[in-house]
Amino acid sequence: MGDLHFASVVPISATVAPPGSEAMVLLVLVVPLLGFAVTALVGRRLGRLAWAFAVPGIVFTWAVAMVVVFQALSGAYGEALRFTVYTWIPAGALHIDFNLAVDNLTAVLLIVVTTVGMLVHVYSIGYMAHDPGRWRFFAYLNLFMFSMLLLVLADNFLLLFAAWELVGLCSYLLIGFWYRRRSAALASKKAFLVNRVGDLGFALGIMAVWTTVGTLNFPEVFQLLPAQLASGAIQPWMLTGIALLLFCGAVGKSAQFPLHVWLPDAMEGPTPVSALIHAATMVNAGVYFVARANPIFSLSSTAMLVVASIGIFTAILAASIALTQNDIKRVLAYSTLSQLGYMFAALGVGAYVAAIFHLMAHGFFKGLLFLDSGSVIHAVHEEQDMNRMGGLWRKLPITHATMLVGALAIAGIPPLAGFFSKDEILDEAWKDGYSWIWLVGVVVAVLTAFYMFRLMGKTFYGPSHVDPKVEPVVHESPPIMTVPLILLAIPSAFLGLLVGLPFGASVIHSWLGPIFEQADANLGHGEPTFAFFGVDGVLIVVSVIAAISGLVLAMRLFGFHWPFTRREIEPEPAVVARWTDRLRPLYRGSFHKWWFDELNDLIFVRFGGVVAAACWWFDVRIVDGTVNTVGRVVSGAGREIRLIQTGRVQNYALGIAIGLLIVAGGYLLFGGRV
Amino acid sequence: MLTLPATIPFLGWTWNDLLFLVLAGGLLGSALFVVLGRNIIHSGLWLVVGFLMLAGLYALLGAPLLAGAQVLVYIGAISVLILFAIMLTQSKAGPARLVFHHQAWAAALAALGLGLLLVIVVGATAWPLADGSAQPQTSANVASALFDDFVLPLEIVGVLLLAAVIGGVFLAKKDDARESDSDI
Amino acid sequence: MSNTLDAYLVLSGLLFSLGMFGFLARRNAIAMLMCIELMLNAVNLAIVAFGAFLPPLRDSAAVIALLVMAVAAAEATVGLAIVIAIYRNRRTPLVDEYSQMRE
Repeated sequence: MGDLHFASVVPISATVAPPGSEAMVLLVLVVPLLGFAVTALVGRRLGRLAWAFAVPGIVFTWAVAMVVVFQALSGAYGEALRFTVYTWIPAGALHIDFNLAVDNLTAVLLIVVTTVGMLVHVYSIGYMAHDPGRWRFFAYLNLFMFSMLLLVLADNFLLLFAAWELVGLCSYLLIGFWYRRRSAALASKKAFLVNRVGDLGFALGIMAVWTTVGTLNFPEVFQLLPAQLASGAIQPWMLTGIALLLFCGAVGKSAQFPLHVWLPDAMEGPTPVSALIHAATMVNAGVYFVARANPIFSLSSTAMLVVASIGIFTAILAASIALTQNDIKRVLAYSTLSQLGYMFAALGVGAYVAAIFHLMAHGFFKGLLFLDSGSVIHAVHEEQDMNRMGGLWRKLPITHATMLVGALAIAGIPPLAGFFSKDEILDEAWKDGYSWIWLVGVVVAVLTAFYMFRLMGKTFYGPSHVDPKVEPVVHESPPIMTVPLILLAIPSAFLGLLVGLPFGASVIHSWLGPIFEQADANLGHGEPTFAFFGVDGVLIVVSVIAAISGLVLAMRLFGFHWPFTRREIEPEPAVVARWTDRLRPLYRGSFHKWWFDELNDLIFVRFGGVVAAACWWFDVRIVDGTVNTVGRVVSGAGREIRLIQTGRVQNYALGIAIGLLIVAGGYLLFGGRV
Repeated sequence: MLTLPATIPFLGWTWNDLLFLVLAGGLLGSALFVVLGRNIIHSGLWLVVGFLMLAGLYALLGAPLLAGAQVLVYIGAISVLILFAIMLTQSKAGPARLVFHHQAWAAALAALGLGLLLVIVVGATAWPLADGSAQPQTSANVASALFDDFVLPLEIVGVLLLAAVIGGVFLAKKDDARESDSDI
Repeated sequence: MSNTLDAYLVLSGLLFSLGMFGFLARRNAIAMLMCIELMLNAVNLAIVAFGAFLPPLRDSAAVIALLVMAVAAAEATVGLAIVIAIYRNRRTPLVDEYSQMRE
């Protein structure tokens, strides 16, 4: 398999790119890495100015990245900008280069990663202002940016996998940032271990790709695998196997069922970390990868079905848990899980553009929501339990306003961004015949609106349950934190209008459509059509009604304040309590996360502990026992045989006599001389 | 004149056979006493008897020179030397204690085995000539052999004896200068 | 019987075995030396017997036997001198009590 030559398979591009593009792409990678190195080395001594290298570096990276994005989306790179930085592994048949590529998909991801990343960095200057370890924080954040950018820029499986692991490392470091806290340390370990489980499948998938086609470069693999399937060189089940193995990695990294258990615990990290890594960028790596590998997935209907099923199941599972959680960040974490489930469902039905669109929109408004929650937590002095908040809309005006924008966006209320992307997913699901996915998706939309406005109600509206000692000093966050919030609220509100219109032939379709042409052909999708007064219109109306109904129900139960007026809806805790009682079993199940953590503990920790104890016993008793016994036998034998050395000549003489007897007698008797 | 009958009257053996049996039995018996004797002086004396029996056997084999040499050298010199040494190394505790080691049983078995082995080998081998005509030796033949063919070994043995004598004297004499009561 | 080589050789073998037993079993050093003399004499007897029954060997046998006797004498001399010297230090003729060089 390794003897295939690929020189003529893929045309070398980069002849059409403007000069300096490659240098700019490299800058995008190198500046965060340098920021990490410098901040790690001298950051501690900079004290309050620990961000002095990290943040400006990221702002500069953002600027350069925007130039690259503009060039890519305006077509200056042709199909894509691909280039090799250096030869990484020249080992005979295994030849891997440090390949980078920028096409439209990468460009979209670059927008999300660099913009949200930059705003989180700026926000962190204010958020971490009182933390003595902030130099570490900025160093890790920069390292994370480097890793994530490498991930989206990588043009071969191995480089992507290396970046994949690096983001996992940064996630570990940042979740456990407050390492002295036991819960944080445990959460970071849990994240890393659960990710590792997914990465095992991922690595196996990469090895399967290598043994099947002998190369790991994306363009070559995506041409050769379909060609081999078509020519019969590989069986369909092999392709499905490769796709499912690769999907394992996405399941782990994007926290889909059953590897979803690490994301809620990852909220132990500082809020900017949750915003950046666990909402806007790292968890999207799985979605990005499946989208990138669409030629492989689209050829295997089994794999697509698995992806869609796991995605939509995760969506409803997470939404059901978010209904009852009391920690503000947990609600947002489960919300992230749920929205990621949407994205995978979209990928599974073949709605690639919709999935990436949702990824983009979600990156912005979830980042916004997390930073907002950070601002709230900061204001009430690190209190995260929503039951001890309330009535904050008066004291935190900017935070409240931006969070309202984010909540409306995620609930899918037009004309905000979430509506466009979510509706497109549901639309495609229905039109491709997956009506059950559509139905579950609508239910999830209702639940999403409900729990988001439950969160809003408990946090901002109704009477204040804030700790009386803290209440007087609750104040809005400083501008360094609120300005990024406002800046994030803008795309959350307008992104849909900018790139999601016109329906059916949107701007983002024109960007990303060509990338997924091959997949569309494999799946038999025709040209996207849109009939506003036909199926599509009905679907839009249904999804809007679903969102509004969830929203209204939450408002009635948990309160609301109409902006720019004095009208309020009072929360009704009695009604809530009554319904909670009536649905007690469901409530308990939801509150306890459907006991998945306990199940994992039982299977892997306890039962695994038993297995481990058995292995330990085997190792100590049998393996070590054997080795020790050999040693003991040898030394014992030595000790016993030493007794022959009596030091008495007559004993030795007796030995000689006996030896003589044996040798002579044996020779004579058995040698046939007698 | 009294002449001996050709064979012993009742048994039909020749006189040589009877002599051989007596000498052999005496030899083995005295060797047994040497080896098993409690009192070492008795062992030494039984050794002398054994040497005497051997001299007789040499004579029976037609080597009178050797018989004489046996008596002179072994009985006259070596046995006397042994008896002197026994006298000089008597310890008070003497015969009351153990005569044999713990390994005596194993040694007995080994000796038994060796004896058996030798007997079997001797019996199983067809010696080239055993017709019994034991021609006696003459001193002249022995002397010519000794001084013609074996003169080098003779001289070397002479030197060896000189060395042994000097060594023995040196080893056994008292050191006046370093004599002390206590053991080192 | 006395005109068979076998008888003398068997006698020699038995005498040698006895001597070997005594050498390995006795505790007194001088007793060991006496047993060595027995073994040497057994060998001498075998040599002389061969000489008697194999005429070509007769003279050589006698000479060799004489030389063996001389060597035995020399060996007895030196051995006994050593035993006496050791006795002066150790005050015992029993070989298993000569333990200075053992561990």
